[in-house]
Amino acid sequence: MKDAVVVRPADLPLAPPRPPLRERWARRPPGLGFLVGAGMLAVYVVAALSALVVFWSSLDQLPKKVAWVPLENPVGPSSAHPFGVMAGFGTDLFRALWQATPWDLGIVLGILAIDVFLGFFLGATAGLDEGGLVDAFVTFVSDSLGTIPTFLLAVIVFAGLLAEAPKAVSLPVFVVIFGIILWPTMARTVRERARIIAHQPYVEAARASGASFPHILLRHVMPNAVGPVLAQVPLDVAPIFFVLSAFPWYYNCQLPGGPPLPPGSPPIPYLVPSLPAFSPLPSNSFPEWGYLLGFGTCEGFSFPGGFNYWWMYLFPLLAIVGLGLALGLLCDGIERWRHFDR
Amino acid sequence: MSSSGSRDGSLGRSRAPPARGSPRPVLSGVARYAVQRLLLIPAQLVFVLLILYLVLDVPVSLTQNPPESLLRIDQGFYQMVFNLFTGNWGTASFVRYANGGGGPNPAEPIPWSWIFAYYIPPSIQLAVFALPIAAVLAYPVSLLAGWSRRPGVDAPARFVTLTGALLPVFVVGTLVLNALFLGYLGYFQDVPSQGLLPADFWFFNHGGYPSWILYQFATQPTGFPLVDALINHAWTVAAISFTKTLIQASVVAVAYVAIFFRHARSIARSVREEAYIVGARSRGISERTLLWRHAARAVAPSFLLVFALTIPEYLGVQFAVEVAFVDPGFGYLIFASLTGGVLSPLVPLVFLMAIVVLVWALVVDLIAIRLDPHGVAGR
Repeated sequence: MKDAVVVRPADLPLAPPRPPLRERWARRPPGLGFLVGAGMLAVYVVAALSALVVFWSSLDQLPKKVAWVPLENPVGPSSAHPFGVMAGFGTDLFRALWQATPWDLGIVLGILAIDVFLGFFLGATAGLDEGGLVDAFVTFVSDSLGTIPTFLLAVIVFAGLLAEAPKAVSLPVFVVIFGIILWPTMARTVRERARIIAHQPYVEAARASGASFPHILLRHVMPNAVGPVLAQVPLDVAPIFFVLSAFPWYYNCQLPGGPPLPPGSPPIPYLVPSLPAFSPLPSNSFPEWGYLLGFGTCEGFSFPGGFNYWWMYLFPLLAIVGLGLALGLLCDGIERWRHFDR
Repeated sequence: MSSSGSRDGSLGRSRAPPARGSPRPVLSGVARYAVQRLLLIPAQLVFVLLILYLVLDVPVSLTQNPPESLLRIDQGFYQMVFNLFTGNWGTASFVRYANGGGGPNPAEPIPWSWIFAYYIPPSIQLAVFALPIAAVLAYPVSLLAGWSRRPGVDAPARFVTLTGALLPVFVVGTLVLNALFLGYLGYFQDVPSQGLLPADFWFFNHGGYPSWILYQFATQPTGFPLVDALINHAWTVAAISFTKTLIQASVVAVAYVAIFFRHARSIARSVREEAYIVGARSRGISERTLLWRHAARAVAPSFLLVFALTIPEYLGVQFAVEVAFVDPGFGYLIFASLTGGVLSPLVPLVFLMAIVVLVWALVVDLIAIRLDPHGVAGR
């Protein structure tokens, strides 16, 4: 954004009109990665919208078929059940993942929206206000909170919330808290870029011409500091699903008496899906990819023999990784598009 | 990244050079920077404790576990801070965290610091193996991917590392664990699939645990399983411990490299366009020489700073691997405390972790400044 806001002499010609979208598209064609990422994300959105229509009456409950619950001879992928059956839950895995799509898209997009809003705004403000009070506050808070791994901080907050206000342990509160917890990482990377931008000649020119702090921030610094946001967004998907999957996995699998079993052990009849008390999910049969992955990883390895029940963890894993990759490709594509002519 | 400084190690606003004839500053730029960072560490620790105090509502949890109230958190924030800084971290009435549920008499409370002393050495042993492996992997991969202009190198590297960052590490750990231990590699049959020192091995081969192993997992005299096995001439146990730690360290390293890579790649890319690199290239110096002799040195300080920035992520990865392998360690203690609803050890655990991260970040920052003294030292 090198068109600094200065007092424009009346005799200078105005900027040429912005070319139409088709022309801009032809001049800067988006890369293959951008198109693939956008296509993948579109598939997720369509799946979420269709799930809302199809499963509206029971969107928060997975159906359970008793015959599919035991672990003996679980139903694998077939034409009738393309992703197989998740034993324990007693539910068709394709349907479970489809039903979970609107919930997970909502969780991820909600968290990322809060994360980006806070991290981008505060990081850019701190970078522009280098050495000032806002900068000192943002760097102190972000560096202090940055000493604790994100997933651990999120779980500690929820464990505390469980003790203080158990009724507040819910999915919307999880989204807000996780978004707030993620912002320091975003702010730190944005601040570094904003510091550099703040010393660019066009910003100095705007400052000299009397532009206000908010004007410089919104007009010059933030539009040029989008790069770190685009790099960080796909990485911030990882801790979200780590928390949602790791604790169900640990709770079902690693507590004393849980699987995996040593080789040669007799098979156990089945596992009852359960959640730790601080989990934000409302019930044990709630459709959510991370929960399905955590439980599926535990269940899939419950039998001695290991990889025989691969579908129980592979398909939830693909759903999660696919969403992260879609966001990654999209963000990389946008970044490449922004720098096409530089 | 530095706490009050920046990527280049500067300390905020630039200062004018000292006037001619003015007295020399007592401390050099680097020393002043180090002192400022050191003075900031207690303030950052107190802030972290304040967050914990506000969110954990520990007095409520302590009423459920009265013997653990020695931390005196229920007496207020200032008392809690004082106790933590003076080493009074409370007590535990049980040790349910040991493999097999063993431990001292459940009725006898013991200090948390004793329990930490059993759990921390295995974590350090794993880090000592994992960090060099991660460095050996991350350095050339990030450098190559950032340097290469060919999409055939960069695009697959980005794809693989982003996928690696998105894979929950406990899934990777479980897959590796099962691949190795469920019949595919008979060589590892003595290596336990769960726990560092398996009960079966000792009972079947030796009729019970030797005197240098406490509570089925804690070794003596140093606490480091590999070192203690060597000191006690238990060569088989040393081999088991070495193999297990090496496998775990490889999983930690691969997962951490994925996180490290995305930050480090852009640094390598920016070095490629530096004037002296472009100039050297125009004089006909080969790309190979430019990459490994010039760029490899130039990126080292920035890579170190990225390393300091991602230390908490590294710890998170290691915790998850410890849990996946059901090994005693910092991560296992944290997961067991959280899922068991025992919150009181979390305060000293996070306190310790914050100290480690802050001091480590400072040390790494200082090494980076030493390698590239254009920032603080030049001031």
